[in-house]
Amino acid sequence: MLHVNNLTAAIGDKQILNGLNLDVGAGEVHAIMGPNGSGKSTFAHTLAGRDGYDITGEVTLDGADLLDMEPEARAAAGVFMGFQYPVEIPGVNNMYFLRTALNSVRRARGETEVGARDFLNVSKKAMDLVEMKEDFLYRSVNAGFSGGEKKRNEILQMAIMEPRLAILDETDSGLDIDALRIIAGGVNALRSPERSMIVITHYQRLLDYIKPDFVHVLVDGRIVKSGDHTLALHLEANGYADFETDLGDAAEQSFAGAQS
Amino acid sequence: MTATPTAIDPVVTGRAAALDWVESSGYPTRRNEAWRYAPHKKLAELSFGPPVALTTNVPDISELIPALDGPRIVVVNGVVNTELSTMTGPTGLHLSSLLDARREQPDRLEVHFDRVESQISDAYMALNLAFGGDGAVVRLDAGVTLDVPIHIVDVEVPDETRNASCTGVVIEMGAGSSATIVETRIGVGADFGGSNIRTTITVADDASLEHVLLQNVPASHVHLSNIDVTQGANSRFLARSFNLGASYGRVAYRVHLAGPGAHADLSGLFFGFGDQVLDQQINVVHSAKDCTSRQTYRGVLDDASTGIFNGGIDVLRGADGTDAEQSNKNLILSDRAEVNTQPRLEILADEVACKHGATVGQLDESAMYYMRSRGIPAVEARRLLINGFADQVVDEVSIESVRTWINQQLGHDDG
Repeated sequence: MLHVNNLTAAIGDKQILNGLNLDVGAGEVHAIMGPNGSGKSTFAHTLAGRDGYDITGEVTLDGADLLDMEPEARAAAGVFMGFQYPVEIPGVNNMYFLRTALNSVRRARGETEVGARDFLNVSKKAMDLVEMKEDFLYRSVNAGFSGGEKKRNEILQMAIMEPRLAILDETDSGLDIDALRIIAGGVNALRSPERSMIVITHYQRLLDYIKPDFVHVLVDGRIVKSGDHTLALHLEANGYADFETDLGDAAEQSFAGAQS
Repeated sequence: MTATPTAIDPVVTGRAAALDWVESSGYPTRRNEAWRYAPHKKLAELSFGPPVALTTNVPDISELIPALDGPRIVVVNGVVNTELSTMTGPTGLHLSSLLDARREQPDRLEVHFDRVESQISDAYMALNLAFGGDGAVVRLDAGVTLDVPIHIVDVEVPDETRNASCTGVVIEMGAGSSATIVETRIGVGADFGGSNIRTTITVADDASLEHVLLQNVPASHVHLSNIDVTQGANSRFLARSFNLGASYGRVAYRVHLAGPGAHADLSGLFFGFGDQVLDQQINVVHSAKDCTSRQTYRGVLDDASTGIFNGGIDVLRGADGTDAEQSNKNLILSDRAEVNTQPRLEILADEVACKHGATVGQLDESAMYYMRSRGIPAVEARRLLINGFADQVVDEVSIESVRTWINQQLGHDDG
């Protein structure tokens, strides 16, 4: 489904991704772990389409070239990214924003738009999923939200957008244990055979709640090790030091785990 | 009964002095801080004089103004049009034309017309004193609360004489009274013209007024507003200005907090396109103890438009316990647009809390990206961000149909 081949990304002189390869099949959940500065968030943003990067390589989703598309076209193609730092948009009503997003994507796909009343039903279901109160809909997007509320709002959006590929960028950062449980519960409920997920995290903790099919270790802009969920436990016990020393071999590391 | 102008008609008696003032003091120039960005050449080409009778039919204005329930006074080219006006209202509300009020109760108009030389701020105010003989008078008796807004509509239909009407509005809020008054300024046609409207407001002790100014005259017009407010003890004055139309749209307030405990809350939006120049000149004067004032203005400047915010807070000697704040935030949408923002604070009292701040920014790129990553096309995301910025002023208006009207003028209707 998602195919990433030899992806590089740089900002100015600074090389961040150094030939990243990854295949994600339908319905799979892949965790990407790595130390700070290894390129995890950059990888997420290259998939979502933030500009400012010099990019080479190939990224396709269901055969379509993602790198060629504007961010909104990628969303229409089924890409959704949960931001590590969701942006506050004062003055823009959350519900209006969500409905505009959903209908923009539906329009781009040639589907009929969802009316205000139907949307209320859609959003109520999504809000139950992340245990959000209705007044969230009537506030400005993320404005004045707590860290946990912002992250819940991301999962709410994911539930409404029903993406084909969800990339969750450090969705667990800054969450207390209750918020983590709610968010993980929401993510798990959204797992389905048609939906793939890339879960980016610094800590193994999240993976106690969202059990990945595959775990990849990203160091210096490359995947240096892949395995199943036990790899995360190994990282938790031993840290990333093991992998930061054998960069020379990184290019040869198989990621057999991802080739299902 | 024929109306004979009496010797005490304030316009007639004051006219010579006002014109003398213009003769001796001259017109403002770029060197006058308050008039620095005004189109002086254009202003000089306009004819600010007595009302010029309409040479065409009275235009249909229903599509151009917000739909409000309640009484209204419509002024066309400086003269009250009784057919378009509904001057009856609830008990305790007195509406009349300024022309009638001059004949019937000239003493009540002293607050509007009696100006010694030093109280005339500029030549355009003097011209208004000399020629602004008609307009609207609104008086609310003490203790009366109005639950419908009063609408004062000014319509300008200039012709080849380049006429610019001088009009007056006098609002007198009795002690403890409460009302919302909407002044809508519009125009018809593409001829060069203008309007010079002076509003005098007194808000007596414990009274409360929401005053909404909607300036949306055609781009071929120049619009000058001058709003002078005096507040009594514990009164509340809420100003909401939307400076949208005209090639040069000027909104000038002087709000005098003259009684202790008074509160003034001024907010406004200026939204410029093309080569519009939208000018806000705000002066809040604290002369009594324990008054509070707020100035919250937002500008959105697109194309080659220019926005001006010149906001003053004067805390006079003895106005101890003053609490005054001022904020001006601007959104620049084009590299040809510009904004000039200037706070002026003068504090001569003790125990004063005064804050001011101004920002000039562009569209938030991270917010653009966030929205686009949710599938919202760039054009739509831009529109949402701009509207979101402007809505924070629009939302301050209490009347829904006015908010709807503003949103329509701004080209968005998402509420």
